[in-house]
Amino acid sequence: MDRQQPQHHIQIQSEREQSDQLKNVGEFRSALKDNVNTISKILGSSSDLIVRELSISDHSKVALLYLDGMIDLKTAQDSVIGPLLNQSQEEEITLDYLANRVIETGEVSTANSFSEAIEQIVFGSLILLMEGEQGALIISIAEWEDRTVMESKAQPAVRGPQNSFTEKLRTNTTLVRRKVKDTRVRLDSLFVGNFTKTEIALMYMDGVVDNKIVKELHQSLKSINKDQILEGEYIEEIILSNKQFTIFPRFYNTDRPDTVAAGILEGRIAIFIEGTPFALLAPSLFVDFLQSAEDYYQSYLYSSLIRVLRYFSLCICLFAPSIYIALTTFHQDMIPTHLLISIAGQREGTPFPAFIEALIMEVTFEILREAGIRMPRTIGQAVSIVGTIVIGQAAVEAGIVSAAMVIVVAITAISSFVIPAYNLAIPIRIVRFIFMLLATTFGSYGITIGWVLLLIHLCHLNSFGVPYMGPIAPYRKRAARDAILRFPFRSRDVKQMSGTENQE
Amino acid sequence: MNKYCKIFSCGCLLIITALMLSGCWNRNELIDLSIVLALGVDKVGNEYEVSVQAIDPSSMSRNRSTNRAPTTVFSEREPTVFEALRKMTTKSPRRMYVSHLRFIVFDEATAREGIHNPLDFLFREQEIRPDFNMAVAKDCKAKDIIGFVSPTEVLPGMDMYKSLKISQRVWSPTSAVNVREIMSKLVMEGVEPVLTGLALHGDIKQGGTSENVKKPVPLANYVYEGIGVFKDDKLIGWMNEDESRGYSYITNNAKSSVARAKCPDGGKGWFNVELIRSKAKIEPSIKNDRPHIKVRVQSQGNIGEVQCAVDLMDPEMHRKFQETISNKLNVALDGSVKRAKEYGVDVFGFGEAFHRKYPKHWREWKGRWGEMFKNELVVDIQVEFQILLHGKINNPFTVEQSK
Repeated sequence: MDRQQPQHHIQIQSEREQSDQLKNVGEFRSALKDNVNTISKILGSSSDLIVRELSISDHSKVALLYLDGMIDLKTAQDSVIGPLLNQSQEEEITLDYLANRVIETGEVSTANSFSEAIEQIVFGSLILLMEGEQGALIISIAEWEDRTVMESKAQPAVRGPQNSFTEKLRTNTTLVRRKVKDTRVRLDSLFVGNFTKTEIALMYMDGVVDNKIVKELHQSLKSINKDQILEGEYIEEIILSNKQFTIFPRFYNTDRPDTVAAGILEGRIAIFIEGTPFALLAPSLFVDFLQSAEDYYQSYLYSSLIRVLRYFSLCICLFAPSIYIALTTFHQDMIPTHLLISIAGQREGTPFPAFIEALIMEVTFEILREAGIRMPRTIGQAVSIVGTIVIGQAAVEAGIVSAAMVIVVAITAISSFVIPAYNLAIPIRIVRFIFMLLATTFGSYGITIGWVLLLIHLCHLNSFGVPYMGPIAPYRKRAARDAILRFPFRSRDVKQMSGTENQE
Repeated sequence: MNKYCKIFSCGCLLIITALMLSGCWNRNELIDLSIVLALGVDKVGNEYEVSVQAIDPSSMSRNRSTNRAPTTVFSEREPTVFEALRKMTTKSPRRMYVSHLRFIVFDEATAREGIHNPLDFLFREQEIRPDFNMAVAKDCKAKDIIGFVSPTEVLPGMDMYKSLKISQRVWSPTSAVNVREIMSKLVMEGVEPVLTGLALHGDIKQGGTSENVKKPVPLANYVYEGIGVFKDDKLIGWMNEDESRGYSYITNNAKSSVARAKCPDGGKGWFNVELIRSKAKIEPSIKNDRPHIKVRVQSQGNIGEVQCAVDLMDPEMHRKFQETISNKLNVALDGSVKRAKEYGVDVFGFGEAFHRKYPKHWREWKGRWGEMFKNELVVDIQVEFQILLHGKINNPFTVEQSK
């Protein structure tokens, strides 16, 4: 949204104008026509504003206002318009009477002020105004087209629940609630964003969660004063802006209901944001980003091995190019003789030093990866073919890069995809370039220094007061059972599964 | 934010510190290095002629040209080894990189004069890893061996290194001497070093050309032959094959080997056994103020080949076989000790055994241990050979037939 930055000033002004506009509408007038006119004036006579006027008795006239497409038309037809037209009461029809006796939908409330009634229209409510009444009924039958619940694309699993969140907040919270049928599950909603008025819901288990964190989250969410909240990242950034700086993620995001359910059972807080299928989990620790939901749906032996493999790939992803550079430019004596001869044979005739070579290949790969994501799916195939030929063959054959370097870059690239959480893979990729630079300048000494600094940084971090590297550092024995390995279910109970809570 | 400034500045400081550690500033691209696999030292007049066998990496790459030799030999004459190595850059665009040195050959003249001069450099240079093996060129120049074109492995240095390793494992009369061993033996009291001998057989001139590997039967070949006996750092003589074998048994270097003996009871032909394990125990004692050494060797092995018609299933025959082979080994070991005594050089480390058990006596003896080893030391050797298995067949099939 950087593009809109220059207009920021104007936006704030217009926002003020709008709120002034709403403030200035004043009270309901008794004439129905006046009220309708005011509303359509405020909404700028938008083409999707529908005004339906009905005569429900000889001397009672009502008007229904809604935005086309924002409400469930069938419900409006069957439960509002129908009963209104069919009612037989002849005298003394009031709004209360309509709300209590006529309208058949679930949520009906009386507007407190004219401005509230107008505001509710854009939230997808049906507004009922009545001739001679200084008030309005807000009938909440918001409904719009939404994606159906589909398979998770971001975090697919071979075994385990396949459904994933959609853009609709209520669907998402329901998916989780249906997994955790406990009365202690709490759901707090609030609206954030001056323009977008995005609904944000916090879901947690009362009694399991650390109430301090809930309070803190509530406060920071309430204090958000931004025009737009379109995705979870907006919230992440705003909440973390006054905390320690790091490129490592402190919110786990997922589109899997089972992951969120497990999270709240462990005492985490799930944050749902209207309009995005990704829910956030806080607090989240480093080890969480290397776990996947499927770890719990496969045998614990297999899952433990896979988790170790993930840490191994994490190390490859972080270190492989830098170690290659360090070994071939500083520590040739550490390479077995035969391997050294073979590498020397490949490096023969390549024009660039190892670092430049690695940089070229890594950047090429990043370009291809980015292209693969942004590109329309149908062209993806072409990109991968070009990529394979460009990186894999042509570069080696032309003698620009050595074959060993291609192998190193390839294994690094593949390893980065083993990390289950995409938002952890990103900082790892960034840090990798720093390590490559350190390796070129100082060899393994540089890598060691970088590694120590990285560890210090990670151990220094915390996520909402919970040490980021927990339960490994500081080490907590019982919690660590579910950190790097996955112990069998019988050896731990749900509450201790968490890396988050330790409140003894 | 102050904390981060601190961490950041700490990081910067560490990296700046690294800049001052010039030892770390030895970045070398692979294409600027010549990997040296083998090094030869010849004595020419008052100078050392140092020859190195450097790999030509382009011949190891995928699109290699076949008419280039896989290695290049550079040699240079200087009074010191280090100078000679550095002077080679006048002949080669790349620095000689000696970390992966596998093999060093001294010629006999150098060995007889003493190897401590070249060894000093080899230990001092921090780039060299002390895991290479050493040999003494027998009846030829070290340069010839370095420039030899080996038939099996593409890289001759690798070929010789591997051959020495495997022959020591399965054929005991060679001794793969690691540079670390020789160093410790040079400084230890009561034990003298040995180095294996390396000879070239056949047409030595043709052996240094690619003609050598163009025929199934190589024109020349290298052979590990015998063990050179050193007094301090000077070569003083050689042991033949049997004596070398005895040396391997006594010093517990025989891991697997083949021992041959005449069939017992005047039987015609030979039989041999494959040694599986052998353990030698050196027990020093002092009798009448004279040093006594008892060497007890317990070996086990399997029958490898039988040429005479005997019934091996007969327990009596089995016992005789064991006795015969034990006696045969006894003789070999005796011969080995005798030869060492002749040279007056305690290569077996008997003195070291006394040093441990009788430190007081040793203090008196160590000044004249060479003489004592030669004249006074009584060595009693007992070999017990145990035959375990007979292989896939029990009796020679001639015997089976007659049954």
